[in-house]
Amino acid sequence: MKLLAVTACTTGIAHTYMAAEAIEEVAKKKGYEVKVETRGSIGVENELTPEDIQSADAILIASDMAVPMERFMGKKLLYVPISDAIKDAEGLVEQAFKAPVYKGDKKDLVDEVAEIKEKKASERRGVYKHLLNGVSFMIPFVVAGGITIALSFIFGYNAFQNEGTLAYYLKAIGDAAFGLMVPILAGYIAYSIADRPGLAPGMVGGLIAVNLNAGFLGGLAAGFLAGYIVYAIKKYIKLPKTLQGIMPVLIIPVLSSLSVGLIMYYVIGIPVAALNTAMNNFLTGLSGANAVVLGLIIGLMMAVDMGGPINKAAYAFGTGTLAAGTGSAVMAAVMAAGMTPPLGLALATALFKNKFTAAESEAGKAAWILGASFITEGAIPFAAADPLRVIPSIMVGSAVTGALSMLFNCTLSVPHGGIFVLFAVGNIPGYLVSIIAGTIVTTLLIGMLKKPVVEK
Amino acid sequence: MLINENLIDMNLEADTKEEAIKKLAQMAYKEGRVNDIDRYVEAVLKREAEYSTSVGFGVAIPHGKTDAVNEPFLGFAKVKGIDWSAPDEKPVDLVFIIGVPEAQAGNEHLKILAKLSRRLMKDDFRQLLRQASSKKDILAAVQEAVA
Repeated sequence: MKLLAVTACTTGIAHTYMAAEAIEEVAKKKGYEVKVETRGSIGVENELTPEDIQSADAILIASDMAVPMERFMGKKLLYVPISDAIKDAEGLVEQAFKAPVYKGDKKDLVDEVAEIKEKKASERRGVYKHLLNGVSFMIPFVVAGGITIALSFIFGYNAFQNEGTLAYYLKAIGDAAFGLMVPILAGYIAYSIADRPGLAPGMVGGLIAVNLNAGFLGGLAAGFLAGYIVYAIKKYIKLPKTLQGIMPVLIIPVLSSLSVGLIMYYVIGIPVAALNTAMNNFLTGLSGANAVVLGLIIGLMMAVDMGGPINKAAYAFGTGTLAAGTGSAVMAAVMAAGMTPPLGLALATALFKNKFTAAESEAGKAAWILGASFITEGAIPFAAADPLRVIPSIMVGSAVTGALSMLFNCTLSVPHGGIFVLFAVGNIPGYLVSIIAGTIVTTLLIGMLKKPVVEK
Repeated sequence: MLINENLIDMNLEADTKEEAIKKLAQMAYKEGRVNDIDRYVEAVLKREAEYSTSVGFGVAIPHGKTDAVNEPFLGFAKVKGIDWSAPDEKPVDLVFIIGVPEAQAGNEHLKILAKLSRRLMKDDFRQLLRQASSKKDILAAVQEAVA
């Protein structure tokens, strides 16, 4: 006769092993063959193999925890709390051989799968989980804003400048959605960290990041700041019972928004302003440099923070080189390099499906249009979710595009519009080659650097 | 080391299991193993409330896994027959107390505790502990058991 057992207790320190010992001892005394799997804090030890289970006459499970059950289908099985095994191992061993056959049922399997999923989700803890939460709430704003702005370009790249026209309103709607993008990102990062009370300081901090031109990187900072500040307030500020009611409605919102806001202005705002000035000076100083190098640097700048201070500096520098009526090579490089990040990511979501979440894959489809319309922000959801891998990839791709555009001496005579303003480009074939080359470089780098998504 | 002579009391004065747990926690606190006696005791009693950590044969192993523990430890005390709601209803005279931090680094200590738990189920080991007359004897017995 062969008995298999599984033991597990809630802390996994002592009873798991005492029960295992008791069962082994009793079984050996009775002359049974025995093997006990222990599932304690150390991990699973002495795990039962399919062969063990195949040859077993009965299974005894003494556990206060969920144990993988599917494998015992068709075996006599007795399931008891662990304390029973310590109290009366002898009786249980006998009972196990008379136990009914375990049939399992669908519900158990579904429950188990749900449990595994939940466990995986909780493992995906920390920074990454908070980022993904923020990004998933931000994506609709990016898509809505980007597509609406792109629609306004259909009426001409500068049609939105005429107040009261449809193009004007389309652009205004798109800007409204874009304006909410970073506050939502920051708000829901904080929400993920600190629950509901995190939302207000997160969104406030996010909007300050926008006002400071700190871009989405500033928004990320605001979100984490707000989340952890609220978390700390909840943990360390203890009010007497009678006053606890004012914590969520008064103390937490005011204190956290105030601290996040002040930190954003004093700690993030000043360096960002300094960065803006430094970038402008840097680019002005580069004006005389080798054109290809300048294109490369512009590409890097356009991609690094997508609408943040560095990107803005490069864009402003580009528009500054526009003189009425004539095309500018710098402006052409700026726009081309600003188009490749969303395009490269769109292509990557199509080619490397396992490396993106379902929400990201959907955003990838919209990113085609955003990229083609020179709305670099289309890349932000991807960059925010995985900055260390995505940002370098898009920077290199944009640098290639910027350098090639300069090399081919492409020019552009308008400040915005993407493919809608191709008529204003000098050397269109060269321009398209530059953009496609950068897009492919970005896609390949993402394919190499990004890890497959583990959830789901 | 999980256990040392300062974590052993050959004659602990306690009338209830709560009192025994508190005194053992103080012992661990003095050795710097526990940073917050109240929280540690709370964790142990919470575990105790699920079902008694007495395993019968006069042995109890109260334990707590909590942030209030700095470093895994094992404490031991002989007591004078305390009621510990044992499964065999016998009073407890041998108490091992265990503390493990919530996030333990490495499994070494857990493996030792697992071995000790297994040994406690053996009559000869319990006899050895009961006959031991000095802290040194207890240390030697424990070390032999988990070797």
